[in-house]
Amino acid sequence: MTSQSASVAVTQIAGGLALSPLLIGVTQQAKARLQGRRGAGPLQPYRELRRLWGKSGVDVEGTTFVYRLAPVIVAAAMGAAILLVPIATGAPRLGVGQDALVLAGLLALSRLAVCIAAWDTSNGFALQGASRDLTLSVFVEAALVLSLAVAALVAGTTDLSGVIAGTAGGHLWTTPALALGGVAFALVIVAETGRQPVDNPDTHLELTMIYEGPVLEYAGRDQAYLQWALAARHWVVLVLAAQVFLPHPVGTWWQLALLPVSLGLLCIALAVTETVLAKMRILLVPRLIGVGAAVALLGIVTWLVETA
Amino acid sequence: MTVLVISGLLGIAVGGLLCLHADSLAAGFITQTVGALALGAAGLSALVSGETWGASFTSELTPHAGIDGLTGVFLLTLALVACPALVFASSYVAKTRRGRLTGVLTAAFLLSLIGVLCARDALSFLFLWELMTLVPAAIILAGPATESARRTVFTYVAITHLGGAGTWIALLLLAHEGAIGNSTALSEGSSVQAVIAVAAIIGFGTKAGLMPMHVWLPRAHPIAPAPISALMSGVMVAVAAYGLVRVLVDWIGTAPSWIGATVLILGGLSALGGITYALFQNDLKRLLAYSTVEHLGIVALGLGACLLLRQHGADAWAAFALGAALLHTVNHSVFKALLFLGAGTFERATGGLELDRLGGLLRRMPWSGGAFLIGCLAIAGMPLLNGFTSEWLTLQALLHVPAYAGVWDGALGAVALAALAGTMALAVLCFVKVIGLVLLGPTRRTGVADAVEPPPAMRGALVALAGACFVLGTIPGLLFPLLVGLAPWPLTGDVPSRPGLDLPGTGTLPTVGLLVVVGGLGALLWIARGSRRAAPSPSWACGQRVESPLLWSSAGFTKPLRLVLEAVLRPEREIETTTLGGVVQHVSYEGRVPHLIDVHLYRPVSAGALVAASWARRLQSGRLGTYVGYLIALVVVLLVAVRVGAIG
Repeated sequence: MTSQSASVAVTQIAGGLALSPLLIGVTQQAKARLQGRRGAGPLQPYRELRRLWGKSGVDVEGTTFVYRLAPVIVAAAMGAAILLVPIATGAPRLGVGQDALVLAGLLALSRLAVCIAAWDTSNGFALQGASRDLTLSVFVEAALVLSLAVAALVAGTTDLSGVIAGTAGGHLWTTPALALGGVAFALVIVAETGRQPVDNPDTHLELTMIYEGPVLEYAGRDQAYLQWALAARHWVVLVLAAQVFLPHPVGTWWQLALLPVSLGLLCIALAVTETVLAKMRILLVPRLIGVGAAVALLGIVTWLVETA
Repeated sequence: MTVLVISGLLGIAVGGLLCLHADSLAAGFITQTVGALALGAAGLSALVSGETWGASFTSELTPHAGIDGLTGVFLLTLALVACPALVFASSYVAKTRRGRLTGVLTAAFLLSLIGVLCARDALSFLFLWELMTLVPAAIILAGPATESARRTVFTYVAITHLGGAGTWIALLLLAHEGAIGNSTALSEGSSVQAVIAVAAIIGFGTKAGLMPMHVWLPRAHPIAPAPISALMSGVMVAVAAYGLVRVLVDWIGTAPSWIGATVLILGGLSALGGITYALFQNDLKRLLAYSTVEHLGIVALGLGACLLLRQHGADAWAAFALGAALLHTVNHSVFKALLFLGAGTFERATGGLELDRLGGLLRRMPWSGGAFLIGCLAIAGMPLLNGFTSEWLTLQALLHVPAYAGVWDGALGAVALAALAGTMALAVLCFVKVIGLVLLGPTRRTGVADAVEPPPAMRGALVALAGACFVLGTIPGLLFPLLVGLAPWPLTGDVPSRPGLDLPGTGTLPTVGLLVVVGGLGALLWIARGSRRAAPSPSWACGQRVESPLLWSSAGFTKPLRLVLEAVLRPEREIETTTLGGVVQHVSYEGRVPHLIDVHLYRPVSAGALVAASWARRLQSGRLGTYVGYLIALVVVLLVAVRVGAIG
């Protein structure tokens, strides 16, 4: 392992584990400023994690090990996802490979764990959130796989490190397929991070919750794991967006240097969409994301025509 | 090898005979297990060593039998399913006359399945194929003789025989052209090749349950006894996939791309349609049968990708796609057998499989429930278990179709990729529902609260299959290169034989690495989580206690999807409200998702057939004079036709 790849690996692990809550914090802070509030500062998610860490967990009566194990599985799956998604081209493989489609599997695993825990509690609100989340995931997963497929076809590999290299530099400007894939991926980001117009992260009304619904019963460290996992989910999809679908330079060091800028811009973009868009009617969301999948499909066709 | 094969066949046959006597029923099943095990070993050795045993394929019409690598894969699959299923049966099947008959017929069923796999000529293949179709019908009829069982058997036999005509046409034409075992006999794009391909897709596709030929499958699989359901859904459909592979990938030579495209479209339709209808089922076994349609659809997606890639000269990825399809067949057999046997256990323990009336079985039956949970996670395509490995491979194969196969086929591959991604997410929704309604939450019926673990034989079979799901999910890379090597075209470069999957142009699926990372992180987090807990509290529902009328049902959980897909699925609902003096007394609600292929394809056809039959019946008066009249009329018409020169 060269010094370069070692430093990329260290940045990737430390950044993913420690800095991912910052992404949520920056987004919330930017949103507060846009809405004319002072906001709690970008470090608020850390304070919440510390508060939750000190509290005791609560077991729901009549639940099994499924309920107790779910937060651990969710956090472990997202931890593996952080190891899987490289932050720059020189990133070494950290034991879990770097395959784009394995990432889709890990995201599905964390979703499933939360949803079966919802069944374990038999809480109506939790199940409502779970059934909505899984319904949307049908369309989100299709859009995710198709948009990653666009990038993989352009780069000629599904290895994410190779994808970052294959889309670096001027590719974005000369390959319309990537831009179309980026549009689809933007919708995937909004859905996977549970942001408006798909979901409302600030809601306190059970009936409107999607992601917050299934985790309603958790407290203490369990809840801390789940909140961190949500932050890790932000990290994974935003890093992919920054290093694949946004313009990024060729060299590893340049990529590392520009990553914070891209991530910051993406957080602000999320804050802007959250501010200007209202939450959609839940049954219209599949249509929106379905359109995203269709755009990604169009991207693949564009690429096919271009290379034919 | 000869010793293994002969002892295997003898074991199954002797086991079947032992089942004739009530006292030796269990021993009979165990002897059959030993036989199946020996044949599985023979299959494995054929697969690993690459040697063949017995005759090779011939277009002659004299009986030949032999084993090669591809047969080996399916013999291995058969053993993986049959051994646990037979051990399960040894304590599941009652020592009644019916039970003894089931035991004997199970042996016959196994022998016919093995026979189809080992047949090396068209005639014995077709004979055993028909036997394989008829024996399960006999097993179902040997069970409780209800009106609905008889109707189901009629549907099953009718549709599989109509479809089976395709198998006959394909095999006999292949034999006629001398193409059995000889992929150079048919020229690319010839009309004979097209007829054979279409006939094979219809014939084997019907047996595999590909949409729209699947209608018999969700009806017939659930009503058989659990071990037989496991064999039907685990092995019989796999044998159909075997037929598809033999004919389409090997014997017809290089197939024009429309054949691959057809298989891909049927596969995508079956995968999406199968899992969508599975979602809306209310009976566990029926849900599982629909999911069989889904998984054979995924196998067909792999095969379609293989044919398209081969047509476009991407031989390496075509072989990977074939390996993906074969691996998925093996994986599907294992988890589907587990789930069907689990369903049988639950039915025995609780007296019913209506999804809304089970619940909490993981607490009541930790071993069987835990094994069933693993099966559900595997079938939902969760990483670390076997379903994910082959679905990942199939996704990769489909992703490489656009990379190699030109604009039109490439676009089709991309659509199929989206369909498979959607299918996998729908499978998560479906099996989250199954896990929740069957294993978790409060018990929803009095019978369920008294459920106890089954005898050790049944429990052991379930746990062994769950272990197989885990092992196959951890070391797919040891099996996959062998499956890739079965491709009948020469390959350059080797697939490395290591536990994980490492294909060129992918980011690898290191199964062991994932297991270590997710397991290790999970263990760390579990320790860090500590043991400080507040007193258990009731689930929060706005201050209300969660009581049984408030529990979520199968229909409720799938309602968002039903609403989203309303335009496609056309669900029906009826609400009747009884009021008395302006006060609502009673509200009855009924909702269902009609099966559109039944309603719009099969019902008009069968109604048309009945109308045609009633017309034809008018001609059959039964009087001799009328028939003589018909003959004279025919002779006159023929004479007139000759006279005017229309014939002759």
